[in-house]
Amino acid sequence: MRKLLTTSTVVLGTLAGAAWADYPTDKPITFVVPYGAGGGFDTIVRTFAPAVEDAMGTTVVPENIKGASGTRGGQAVARAEADGYTIGIYNIPGLTVAETLGRDIGFSLGEVSWIANLAASKYGIAVKGDSEIQSLQDLCDLGRPIKLSDTGKDSTSSITAVIAFEIMGCDIVNITGYGGSNDTMIAVMRGEVDATLKPITSLAKYTKTDDLRMIVTLTDEPALEGVPTTTELGYPELAKFGLNRVVGGPPGMSDEVIQTLAAGFKAAVESDAIQEWAASTGTQLNYMDPDATQQMMDDLSSFYLQYKELLQ
Amino acid sequence: MGFGALVDAIVQVGSGGSFLYLLAGILLGLCFGVIPGLGGTTALALLIPVTFGMDSLDAMYLAGGVMGATSFGGSITAILLNTPGTAPNAATTFDGYPLAQQGKAGYAIGAAACASSMGGLIGLFTLVLFIPLAKEIVLSFGPAEFFLLTILGLTAIAVSVRGKLLRGLIAGGVGLMFAFVGSDAITGELRYTGGIDYLWDGIPLVPTLTGMFAISQMLELALKGGSVASTEQAGKVKISGVGRGVLAVFKHWTVLLRGSVIGTIIGAIPGLGGTVASFLAYSSTVQTDKDPSSYGKGNIRGVIAPESANNAKDGGSLIPTVAFGIPGSAETALFLGILVLHGIDPGPSILLYNEREIYGLIVAITAAALGASLLGLLLSRFLVLITRIDVGIVVPVVIGVSLTGVYVLDGRMADVLLTVMMGLIGYLMIRFDYPRLTLVIALVLGETAEKSFHQVQLISDGQALGFMLARPVSIILMVATVLTFFLPIARKMLAARKAEVTE
Repeated sequence: MRKLLTTSTVVLGTLAGAAWADYPTDKPITFVVPYGAGGGFDTIVRTFAPAVEDAMGTTVVPENIKGASGTRGGQAVARAEADGYTIGIYNIPGLTVAETLGRDIGFSLGEVSWIANLAASKYGIAVKGDSEIQSLQDLCDLGRPIKLSDTGKDSTSSITAVIAFEIMGCDIVNITGYGGSNDTMIAVMRGEVDATLKPITSLAKYTKTDDLRMIVTLTDEPALEGVPTTTELGYPELAKFGLNRVVGGPPGMSDEVIQTLAAGFKAAVESDAIQEWAASTGTQLNYMDPDATQQMMDDLSSFYLQYKELLQ
Repeated sequence: MGFGALVDAIVQVGSGGSFLYLLAGILLGLCFGVIPGLGGTTALALLIPVTFGMDSLDAMYLAGGVMGATSFGGSITAILLNTPGTAPNAATTFDGYPLAQQGKAGYAIGAAACASSMGGLIGLFTLVLFIPLAKEIVLSFGPAEFFLLTILGLTAIAVSVRGKLLRGLIAGGVGLMFAFVGSDAITGELRYTGGIDYLWDGIPLVPTLTGMFAISQMLELALKGGSVASTEQAGKVKISGVGRGVLAVFKHWTVLLRGSVIGTIIGAIPGLGGTVASFLAYSSTVQTDKDPSSYGKGNIRGVIAPESANNAKDGGSLIPTVAFGIPGSAETALFLGILVLHGIDPGPSILLYNEREIYGLIVAITAAALGASLLGLLLSRFLVLITRIDVGIVVPVVIGVSLTGVYVLDGRMADVLLTVMMGLIGYLMIRFDYPRLTLVIALVLGETAEKSFHQVQLISDGQALGFMLARPVSIILMVATVLTFFLPIARKMLAARKAEVTE
């Protein structure tokens, strides 16, 4: 019996070794999306999957595990085997903030094996197309708290708005509960709120048609002609805000596997298909290798830690 | 504008490849519609990755076929098994199932098929007319209007439960309590979750609906025994009534028109969706009828109204989708995902840059609405046989398929557990004669009502009433709510007076 056990252990071990040698081609890679089908995270994962497949010569299967504000998907990845066959995309800095505030997200961001950063979007502030508000100064000088529209209190844009306007010294009432980022922009067009802070790429489709007008972008370099940046206006720290699409895996992944995956994602970002898609949708690709991604995650944690009290 | 693109789309639908995609979409839609628990949302979610490699117009045909066919598929199950195949078919069970019990299933299916085709056509016709105005429509519905719409919906439920007002109110109250579970949309605070992560996002709708309608109905059926059509009638189920059912729709064209208009309007309002549309169409038809007591016992008008509204809402829900990128329903939300995947940027510019795809979709849904009904009618001969199957076979199959469907949706075992619990609650409600749909509608509307009222208060600096009274659409909705509430009472008083006079 003992011998049988030993033999089977050896056999299993060899099999595992063989599987290891074949990485990543012997079975499909599951790519967890912590939100439902059809959203921004889902779209980027489903768009990247074929490009990563081409680059790595394997199969990538997107899986939607939604719920509990995007934490269930992260938990599922954290529980999976650290063999490189389960990876996920993370809502950063949304999860960073939740963890900083001491909320139980069911796993630890510090333990995630970070693989790559795929894209980043920067924010802008827009008002109604025919509004009398011309500048950030006008917005702050309304003589009452500025009304802003947002999706949820925990959304990245809402958190950014709370911190950004605090830094600029303007009072705000953030009216949350809108169905999606489009809804928040239409709320500005209906005139029920004064302005909204959203990714520049999302605002672009309404500023293009003059339904909305961008008054400032939260960037170092000018993103749009004739629109000032917060850095120019004397608030350089605001350019730190952004929405990142970060890929990670279960805690304890071997460096070899991380590098293999990172190479796959790098090739995917550089592929024609992804470049074309990014150009047509206005997505800002911003590939970062595992070390740079890890560094960014650490920076973000300490950045948001400063504003812990404001957000509570 | 758009005419060339429209002709293009029609020409392409006739060409080989696109037609096959459309047919595949219809068949998939019918299957997903017939199976309780699965619906257009599930079908489209499964299709998203498949469409990636396809031509964008072919993807529209596949998606359009699914969207046009699920609601008719769902009505078949609603009529034959008293279990809505998709959530919006719930209102069809009220009169469709009694008709099936009377052996007139063919008649009801014929009417449902024709009503959904016609409703779909009316909805799309409205869409084409309203595309130039879409922006104004979406802009005139803010949080104030949303709040008042939900109040109108809740009022309509309260008065529709004939002679059971108190029971209706209790069920509605429980539904609202269910709606408030989870994190507050405005403050983010967690409420009534009892430490269960699963409840953070609230009580999910699909497991609730599947439990309330599919599981509870199967429990009821299992405990009763026999087959769906009572045994003495089972022998004489006539399938020949289909043609008569089709004709009935044209005979009751006012019902069809009202249902379609309600469907289109509700569809155009994001967040309300097909369940509200078909229910409002049903209740308004009952209320405006000379003989409201004939409903719930097999009145064909009670089948026509919800089915026409259900398909008309697809056209309506595309108005905000194409104009603003705001999905008007769960299906269009997924459809939006397909658009984005094909590099089409939803929003005001879509009409300028992606005419081809938009008109392609419109033609596809039109063709699907007609195709699904034709196909359904051809198959109805066999579908009617389902009612004669012994419950010993029907019950386990439906329960198994429903629970699998719920699980497949998100892969959460907790959804399955919730479905079973809701099934037990639903069964108790059947036994003690409480209306299940009232609870479900309150669950659907409760969250929107609470959230929009909260928003109105913030926007108006606490002067909610004054704010609403200054908005014309809000005033119309308030008047409609008051009328909905008092009309049945006024009619009752009128009838009483008439009775006095004749005596």
